[in-house]
Amino acid sequence: MAELDDIIHQPLRLKIMAALNALPQSAGLEFSRLKKLTGATDGNLGAHIETLAKAGYVSVDKAFVGKKPQTTVTATAAGRGAFARHVATLQEIIAGKQG
Amino acid sequence: MIDSKQATEALADIDDTVRRLRQSLIYRFTSTIMLMWGVLVLAGNIAGWLWPRYGLYFWIAVYVLATAGLFAISARNYAQSRIRTFDRRYMLTFLFIISFGIFCCVFGQFSPRQQSTFWPVYIMLFYMIAGAWFGYAFIVIGASIIALTLFGYVYIPGPTFLLWMAVVNGGGLFVGGLWMRRV
Repeated sequence: MAELDDIIHQPLRLKIMAALNALPQSAGLEFSRLKKLTGATDGNLGAHIETLAKAGYVSVDKAFVGKKPQTTVTATAAGRGAFARHVATLQEIIAGKQG
Repeated sequence: MIDSKQATEALADIDDTVRRLRQSLIYRFTSTIMLMWGVLVLAGNIAGWLWPRYGLYFWIAVYVLATAGLFAISARNYAQSRIRTFDRRYMLTFLFIISFGIFCCVFGQFSPRQQSTFWPVYIMLFYMIAGAWFGYAFIVIGASIIALTLFGYVYIPGPTFLLWMAVVNGGGLFVGGLWMRRV
């Protein structure tokens, strides 16, 4: 019986992973776009991205575009796998196999 | 462990996030294209107003530049996001749309003034259709430009109409593109 992934299940982290997982592999989203998409504050978003990065679910790249620093977050293969399992578990719960 | 209701809410959250992401990617790509079209259409109308004899050549140049621009924007977008946005299928769709527009102009024997009205209305129709799938911004921009174009056709006399179209169509696309980036 599959378990829900506690790291992904937190609402903001779920949104972050949903967005990153919808992109093609190796494509990432800039921090500012993730902020707009999730409606989170800088600090809150940063903290949750760090949690996901520590779990190995996302990679964070910092670079300069012109003179502006830009942070890009990308889902790793482990992150995509964990997200797929998490969604499958949610679907099982709805189907009445768990919960 | 969570219950079925909470699981449904979580899945709805995921769907909503993915839908909003797709819409934002479409808006970002389209806004760049609209900015490009805005500048080209503004230039095409002003050039046609200044040198009306060469109007047809200016518009051919506008379409050639626009096609090259679409490929360039698509290539840049692919390099940044790994998402293909303008490929052969889109090129073919673009050609069908343009071909049918040319057919209408020839078959309908439109005057230059009617052609200047027809093309923006025709192209904006596709924006409005796109709005039904990709977001209301397309509908707002398309409807505004169509309304202002028809207003100009009825109320703006003579060659001044081209200047009106430069502002309404070229400027409208440009402002629409900027607005779309912020939506």
